[in-house]
This record gives sequence, C-alpha cells and structure tokens, in this order.
Amino acid sequence: MEARALKSALGVYCGVFLLFLYGPMVILAILSFQGPNGGPQFPIVQWSTYWYRHLLELTPGSRVSYLPVGDSLLRSLALAVMTTIVSTVLGVITGEAFRTRFKGSGPVFYLIILGMMVPGVLVGLGMALVANMIGIDRTWWGTAFVLHVVYTYPFAFLVMLAIFNRFDRSVEEASLSLGVSPAQTFRRVTFPMIFPGVLSAMLFAFTLSYDEFARTLFTSGRELTLPLAIYGTFSVEIYPNIFAFGVLTTLFSFTLLGIYALLMLRAVSRQRSFKGQEEEA
Amino acid sequence: MTIHDLELIDVCKTYPDGTTAVSDFNLQVEPGEFVAFLGPSGCGKTTTLRMIAGFESISSGRIMIKSKDVSNIPPERRPTSMIFQNYALFPHMNVRENIGFGLDVKKMPAAERDRKVDRIMDMFGLSELAERKVDRLSGGQRQRIALARGLVVEPQILLLDEPLGALDANLRRVIQNELKLLQRELGITFVFVTHAQSEALGLSDRIVVMNSGRIEQISRPHELYTRPRTAFVAHFIGSNTTLAGSDLAFEGENASVQTAFGRMTGRCSTPMAAGAQAMAVIPAEAMRISAASPKAVPTGQNQLHGRIHMRHAVGSIGHFKIDLGGGHVVDVETSTDNKHLMALTVGDAVSVDCPPERITIVPAS
Repeated sequence: MEARALKSALGVYCGVFLLFLYGPMVILAILSFQGPNGGPQFPIVQWSTYWYRHLLELTPGSRVSYLPVGDSLLRSLALAVMTTIVSTVLGVITGEAFRTRFKGSGPVFYLIILGMMVPGVLVGLGMALVANMIGIDRTWWGTAFVLHVVYTYPFAFLVMLAIFNRFDRSVEEASLSLGVSPAQTFRRVTFPMIFPGVLSAMLFAFTLSYDEFARTLFTSGRELTLPLAIYGTFSVEIYPNIFAFGVLTTLFSFTLLGIYALLMLRAVSRQRSFKGQEEEA
Repeated sequence: MTIHDLELIDVCKTYPDGTTAVSDFNLQVEPGEFVAFLGPSGCGKTTTLRMIAGFESISSGRIMIKSKDVSNIPPERRPTSMIFQNYALFPHMNVRENIGFGLDVKKMPAAERDRKVDRIMDMFGLSELAERKVDRLSGGQRQRIALARGLVVEPQILLLDEPLGALDANLRRVIQNELKLLQRELGITFVFVTHAQSEALGLSDRIVVMNSGRIEQISRPHELYTRPRTAFVAHFIGSNTTLAGSDLAFEGENASVQTAFGRMTGRCSTPMAAGAQAMAVIPAEAMRISAASPKAVPTGQNQLHGRIHMRHAVGSIGHFKIDLGGGHVVDVETSTDNKHLMALTVGDAVSVDCPPERITIVPAS
C-alpha cells in the first residue's frame, strides 16, 4: 500500500518535472507558428511559417524590423569553436598531468576549478576594468574569449580527470614495453581510449561558451555575440520571430547532441573490451 | 668475464615517503635462464620486475642488461618486453593489430611485419582469430595474444608479471606447460613473478624467494624445496613443520639442535656457529608414522610422540596432524596405499620419525 502511494507520488513528481523542463520549449515552439498579425502569446491568430521567413528576411514590407542575429550568430559559433579547441586541449593536458600527484597539485586543482565557481558578472566586470587599466580593447575574440576559456576549461578538466581516473595504466606500459615512444603511445593508444571523454569535454565547452551571457556582456565590446544580440531585442518589443529563432537553435543543439551520441556509440563499442579486461583482472 | 643477460647490483627502491620496497637486491641471470621471483604479496617482487622493465626508477644500485647499464634508460629503449597480469591488450585494435603494434610503430616494412605477425600467430594458434576484436575472446586466448605481442618484437628478456593469475586452474596448467616449452624453444631469458610456489617450482631454473623487500634465498627449485636456508623459506615453500631449539652442535656432516621434544638431528643449509639458536625444519612427506605400542621405549633418532589430531585423505595422499602437546602440531603426509596407517583414527597415540638427511637446520628467525 505504502509502496504504491510512494510510486504514484513519484510519478506525479516526475510529470511535473517534465512539464517544467519541456513546457517552455513546447510553448515557444507552438507560438513560433503564429501568423503575421499575432503577438507573442496565445491565442494563435493564424497558423503560418511567416516568422521563419521573417528570420531569413524573406518578408518585404514587414512592420517588424529583422532580427539582427546574422553576424552575432557567426561570432558566437566562431567563439564557441575557439573555446572548445583551447579548453579541451588544456583539459586533456592537465587531466594527464593530474594522473600522478605532484607538488602543489591540491592548490592547482582549486585554482583551475575557481574558473567555474566565481560569479560570471564579477569576472566580466573585473576583466573590463583590467582591460581599461592596461589599455587593451574589449573584443569578443580577445577579452571575452579568454574568459570563456577560463570558464569552460574546468569543465573539460573535470571530465578528463574522471576519464583518467579509471584508465588502466598498464595498457600504456604495455605499449612502452614494446618499444613505442611516449608520444606515439599517446597518439596510438591513450588518445583512442580517452576519445569518449574528449568528446564530452568538447560538448561541455561548446555549449557553455555558445550561450554564455554574463562574462561576455562586459567584455565583448561593440560586436555582440548571439545571446547579447537576442537580449538586446527584448528591450524593444518581443515578436514571435524570436521564438522561431529559438526553435532553430534548439534544433541545432539537438543535431550536435545527435552527432555526439553517434560518435560516442562508436567509441564505446570499441571500448567494451577494456572494461572486460578490468573485470577479469 | 662472462656476460650476464641481466644483472642487478645492490638495487634499492625507497619511496619519497620513506618506505622501502626493495633493498640490496643482487642477482645475475644467465642467457636463456628462466628465473622466478616468488614471495607473498607486498614482498617487492613486482616492484623489482617493474624496475627491470623501467617503469619504476631505482633509488640506488645498477641494472645491467648484456653488460650495458640501463638504470637510466626509459622503458621503450630497453630490450625487455613485459606481460601483464590483466594482459593489457589494446581494446581498440583487433588481434592482428594488437600483435603487430610494436613492429608497426617501428616502421618495419609491411611485408616483413605481416610475415612475422603471421608466423607468431600461427605458433600461438591465433591465426583463426586474426580479425576478431579482443573483447570477444577468452582469458586463455587473450593471454596468448599478450605473449605473442610481447615476443614478436624479439626482446632479449621477457618479463612476466603473474601472467597466469587471472586464469582458472585447468587453463593455468595448460598455459604453464606452453610457457615452459616456449621458453625452451626460443631460448629467451624469462623473468617471472608469482606468488604461487607450484608455478615457480614447476617452471623455473632458479627461484628468488623474497620477503619484505629482501632476498631470502636464490636456489634451484629442488634445493629450495629440500634445503631451505631461512625460517621464512621453510614456512613458505612446501609443507614443513618447524621446531625451535637451542644449543646447536655439530657431528660430522650432521648438526643437531635441542628442542622441547628432544634433540633433532639434520643438515645445516647455511653456515652457523655452534651453540646458536636454531630451528629444525621437517618436511611433511619425509616423516614416517607408526602406531605407538605402550611398551616401546623411545630411543630412535628424531622421534616424536603424540596423538592424531586430524586426518583426511586427498587422492593418493593422506594428511595427518599429530598433536605433540604444548600447542605443537606436526604435519605428516603419507601414501594412502598403507592400509595399516589409514586405519588409524583421531586420538590414537603414534610416533613419527624422520631420517637426518631429510631434516634441515636453519638459523632461528
């Protein structure tokens, strides 16, 4: 009896959780198909793909100005790619370094983790002040990029730390013992085996950088990234074109996740034997 | 001067926190020899093997391979190859890629590489599995792949770290025999780490018994079994009863020591001074057991009296535990063919004796 009550309570909880998780996205998606004369709320005046065409600037004579996202989208993508590369490389290198305890590894660990702990607004503001003091321009590819790396690097590092933590060192030793150099061992043995972790680290770095707001706000200068540009349009008036844009970016994210899942599946099926070996040992 | 395949000179390993893993390790291994490091876990045998391979640095001393000091040479440039207990196969490669990996990276021409890989796969009966993934294979197959992978690069010394540890008992016997044949065929020096005395006794030309980071004894298997030199070896190898005593005395080739159960006479395995504290080591299978008749006067040499405390038989061997009183129990093994002995039951008074040439006197621990 009690177990059944608990079960239904958990069911309700789960339902509410899903509602709050997907509700906003579903509402947004529905409203993105609003007609040209509808507003950013229910009821739907007329079903149409007008606002998607509006995004692509295919609706001449619209009373609503086009969403100024083209350049900022490219900027955001470029910034996210740059951040992903640098943070993942740093994360893998430091993850490798932390496989053996070294003098000062404790403080260094917390120093790295600090980057994701400190409030973004503060670091952003601080960076703006530092840039002013030493007289460098604030740009998305300069000051903002540095902060994106500082922010995403700890995530990549933690992922790699977890991967290396359950990595069987004897596989690398076996390679060395066959006369293979450490560099070749890393390239031919270690890297293929940690690849799923590297993918996860890349995904973290990319998504965190792609919609980072607070740190970018103070440091990107005049050229805005996508989240800043979208926020900028809110201060005028909200039209359903933003919803259409939201749907498209969500689809883009899902595509990324799909690619990630596929690559992961391939890597993991290659990896299975590794676990088998561990279990038997 | 003879050239040793492997020579360890005063090798010590001390960790930064001050603990000593290995101290004063001295060993010379001849070409083609099969040497086993035997000892309980934590005795430093694996650490020593890893120092030879180059995975652990040495704190002092020298390691020479073919008279060349390799102490400061990284593992990939030593002419050694190591086989790991968990096989350490590359999970992202198939059987052929695993075995060919060492040659592949050395930029060997593809034709020559393939020829070598094919030959060794054939030798290990792996040809059928060439394109299989290593995760779908059994423990014995993986073990063979690991051996093939380690041998195809033609090392001067093959280092094996408990290579049979992860296999079940039957497979262990099979692979054990294969290893022995393989080593004889290839003539490569093998250094083998194990905690199982049967493996060490059955496989190797010489055994290095280690305890707490030190060498206890280096001997051929038969000598190790029959003439232990320390109390530790006596306890670790075979199934021996030890009786502590004092007042060591010599008479001809025999030595005797006064124990709580009379004087025990045997042979010394290592030089000792007369009058010293010593220990008599009595092998379980060297003792003769007989029913004690109440009238008999105990006059025989090396005779002990007691009651049967426990008895059981495993196959052709009967195991007896004889209680001598005062908490001393001797283990005796006899053949179950002796109907007379097998008729004895728990509580019966018996006497056991052992010829002096089978008893070894070692220094007191």
